[in-house]
This record gives sequence, structure tokens and C-alpha cells, in this order.
Amino acid sequence: MFLRILWKLLGASRGRLAVALIALTSGAAVCSALLNVNLDAERKLTQEFRTLGANVVIAPPAGGNEAALADAAVLDRVAALHISQIVATAPYLYVAANSGTQPVILAGTWFDQVAKMNSWWKLEGGWVSSRDDHEHCLVGFTAARQLGLAPGSSVQLRSGDRNISLTVAGIVTSGGAEDNQILTNLDSAQALAGLSGRVSLVQVSVAGTPAEIEGVTRKLAGNLPGLDVRPVRQIAAAEGTILGRIRGLIFWTIALILILSMLGVLASMAALAMERRRDVGLMKALGGSVQHIMRLFLFEAATLGAVGGVVGFLIGVVLARWMGERIFGVAISARLEVLPITIALTIGVALAGAFPLRLLGRVRPAEILRGE
Amino acid sequence: MSPLVQVEQLDKRFGEVRALDHVSFEVEAGEWIAIMGPSGSGKTTLINILGGLDHPSAGRVVVDGLEIGNLGERELTRYRADKIGFVFQQFHLVPYLTALENVMLAQYFHSITDEKEAAQALCRVGLSDRLSHVPAELSGGEQQRVAIARALINQPKLILADEPTGNLDETNEAIVLKLLHDLHDAGHTILVVTHSQAIGNLADRRVELEHGRLARISAPSLAKD
Repeated sequence: MFLRILWKLLGASRGRLAVALIALTSGAAVCSALLNVNLDAERKLTQEFRTLGANVVIAPPAGGNEAALADAAVLDRVAALHISQIVATAPYLYVAANSGTQPVILAGTWFDQVAKMNSWWKLEGGWVSSRDDHEHCLVGFTAARQLGLAPGSSVQLRSGDRNISLTVAGIVTSGGAEDNQILTNLDSAQALAGLSGRVSLVQVSVAGTPAEIEGVTRKLAGNLPGLDVRPVRQIAAAEGTILGRIRGLIFWTIALILILSMLGVLASMAALAMERRRDVGLMKALGGSVQHIMRLFLFEAATLGAVGGVVGFLIGVVLARWMGERIFGVAISARLEVLPITIALTIGVALAGAFPLRLLGRVRPAEILRGE
Repeated sequence: MSPLVQVEQLDKRFGEVRALDHVSFEVEAGEWIAIMGPSGSGKTTLINILGGLDHPSAGRVVVDGLEIGNLGERELTRYRADKIGFVFQQFHLVPYLTALENVMLAQYFHSITDEKEAAQALCRVGLSDRLSHVPAELSGGEQQRVAIARALINQPKLILADEPTGNLDETNEAIVLKLLHDLHDAGHTILVVTHSQAIGNLADRRVELEHGRLARISAPSLAKD
């Protein structure tokens, strides 16, 4: 009988309940979309962050007057660890060289790895695409201006009694130290310095949350004794702050949306409560306890919440995909764990919005039956 | 054997207005009592107190051994479900439930529902072909018969009817009165609030109120069939 009455109640008040259901479904859809985005956004954002430069540096411990160097075999040891979060690993050998009378830093690296972790660099001219290209270099924007270099120019570099001749493929603007450097392939720099098999440091780009980055750092440090492995704190902290702010924004937006949904439900239920005063008075006169009657109304609200939650979740998945494509340029996949959260939140909102119906428990049957 | 209903020095005030003023009477089990009097004399107030819908301001009301004035809200709800069957002038059926479901609603609040028993109750009041009709699809007389079936479904100790024929035409009034008569013959205790002399004449006794006071208790002057 309970379900029979519940069904009839839903049918009898379908107009008002439809308004409440629309409010609940809308709220659930936005919550579901934001929760899906939140769960996926972290992964997407950390992937995006990986194009903003290295966040872990492996370097030999500093000591003495000579710049410390590491064995290039460290690159093989890092690769052998098969750490999935590592997006790119770029070795750097810095060589103090001269171009004519002008001193300049030559940085030898792997351009394919540099490209992965510095996609935001501005480039005028071409990129050096192969590790075997020993003829081309990239020149930092400031260095190019000082040395009067442009794409296609030749530059002669000297270090000690060794010389190297390179053609400028492109001018890069990084906003960092690279703007003052000439970058070429690692082999070329090692040959000029006479430091075959040596690197000054290795930059590593690790995807993940600040905690995951710390984990990778610890793993690398444990496997690379004698080397300093340290996260680039500013970048890790900045990433953490951005993720935290996005999470906060999503949380408060969800809270606001749920409050607005609840107000919508509240308005509908207040009108419904006025309509049901007579029925409640009658039910109480017939011996219906407040618990009996409230159970009906709360189940009715919970049913609305559950339906609104499921429908809202489905709409939210579509919305999340659209938001993902617009914001991150990738489709955000539906997370099933969002479904129970959305349903629970929507049922909670429906029950809170059903507050006016709870006040019907105070109805005095004698007054209602008198027509007051 | 103690009477089913004992009303002693019953007072009810609404602010400054004294709706009932030291009313006392008793009702034996199986009696049909007509409560009569002009409008505003306190008839509905009296029946509301007897039905546990309102609280007395002073005095004692005992129904089937329970002193109603001492009952809390929960106990009063249980009292209404267990011991009272209401029939109202306005019928007061739930508009979105069928005739059958309206009867089952009283069963639901009392204990458990029994669809077959509810259908039989409606058959007894001549509505076997109206089980699945909602109140809007029933005539006034049919609605009142549904209300009577609902009042009887839990075998209450006391049937309280407030102007049960007040909104009915002559034909339907006759049908409802016949039903009340049959209930009385079957041993039910009935208290009917009425302005109708005809109904008053059918009762075993008439309790007449004036300005909230008990004016007289009398047996009808006309013989009943």
C-alpha cells in the first residue's frame, strides 16, 4: 500500500513535482559534469603542466671549483627504471665557449626531449629534429641579438683549442636561461668540450600530482646513489596551488549549484505543502501517524532525488565531454564513481528541499476538517 | 458493565468562547445517539473531542476505558486508528486514490491492508462496481458510502458521523440512513451529529445542546421501525 500511495502521490502532484525534478536534474547534471571534470582534470592538467618545463633535476653534488659532471650513463639508468610518470628526460652539458671574442654558453642536449617538455618556447626559424644532426643549433633570443645571428647564419664556437661550426636553425625565446645560450646536440657539445660521455645535469619532466612527483623523486634518488635528485620546488608548488584552486572552485560551484537546486525544490514543495494540508489533516484523522505520513513524503522526495540524480548524471556526462573538449581539447571519460555521489547529493538536496512538507506534521486535523 | 462513552463535566474553550460548558452524558455500547442543536451549539466540537481530534479544556471523556484527555499526540493517533470510524459531511476522501484505496488507507494506518476485505466493505455499501473510481467520478451519495465503508473497515468501537447526509439529496440520504440503521442493528455504537429531525427520530436517544450546554437528553417521540 505504501508504494501504491506513493505512486498516486507522484501522479497527483506531477506538475509541481516536475518543477522540482527539473531543478534537481539540472543541479545533478552540473554536479555530475563538474565531478567528472574534477576527477579527470587533475590528470589532464598534470599532462598540460608537463609542457611547462622540467620539474625534477638530476645533478652531481656540487663541490670544489670545477663544475661537477655526471656520467651520461645516468640516462640509461633512468630509462631502465621504466617509470611511467616520466614524460621526458633531457640531458644538458654546459660548455663555456667563445664566438669570436664574445663569451657564450653552449648547451648540449636532446632536442626531441626538450621539445616535449618546453612546447611553449617561441621559435623563429626551424627546430633541430634529430639527435644525429651535428650541424645545426638553436640560439637564444638575447644571445642571437648580441652575436648578430639569425636563422641560416653560421656561428663558430671555440672552447680551449677545439672549434665547432654550426648553422643557426632557429632563434628561441624561453623567458629563461636558454635565451642567453646556444643549444646544440649533446654529442657536439661533448666533442667541443672534450667531455665525451659527460653531462652537467639531467632535466626530468614527471606527470602527476605533487605527491606523485615526490614519489618519483624518491625512487630516482634511491636508484641513483651519488647524485642529487631534487624537485623544482617552485614548479611543483605552483602546480599544487593551481590544482588546489581548481578543486576549490569546483567544490564551491557544486555547493552553490546544490543550494540553488534546493531553493527550486523548496519553492515547489512549499506550494505542494499548501495543497496537501487537507489530505494530511484527513490522514491524521484516520489514524495516520506523523511518521507514517512523513515517510510517504520523504520517500517521494527521495524518489525524485534518485530519478533526478540518474538523469542528471547522464546529462552531466555529456556536459563533461563538451567541457573537456572546450577547455582541455580532449574528451573527458565518464567516471562511474560519480553516479552514486551524484545520486546521494541529489537525494540530500531533495530531502532538504522537502522541508515544507515536514511542517505538515504539525497540521491539526480538527482545523483542517473544519475547513480552516 | 460500564458505559462505552462517559462524558463528565466537559468544557472546551476557544479563547474567550466557551464551546462546551459542563456537558455530561453516557453512551452504552450498541446505542445510536443523535447529537442535535442549532449551529454553534458545540455539536462538532463535542464529536471532535470524542474522536480524539481536539483536546478538552476541562472535564473527563472516557471511551472504552481510555481517558482521552490524558492521551498524548501519538496515543491519540493510535486511538483514532483503533477505536474510531469517522464519517464527515464533506466526505473527505483522498481525491487521487480510488474508492478501494481510500478504504485501504484506513487499513494501512490501522495495521495491514487487505484488498479483498476492503472490496467486500465497498460491496456491503453497494459499490461493488465502483472500486476503481476516484472520488471525482462518484456521486455525493457514493462518496459518502465510500466514507462509511472506510469508517467500518477496522471494526471501530465508535462510529462518529458529522452531518453525514448534510450534502446529499433525498435518495442518497435514504441510502445512507439505511446503512446507518443496518450498522446499528448489527450492534455498532453510533453518534451522529445532525440537524435532521428524521435522523434524530431514528436514534435511540437524542443529546441536545444549546450554547455549549446540555439542554436535554431524550428518546425520540416517534417509534422506530
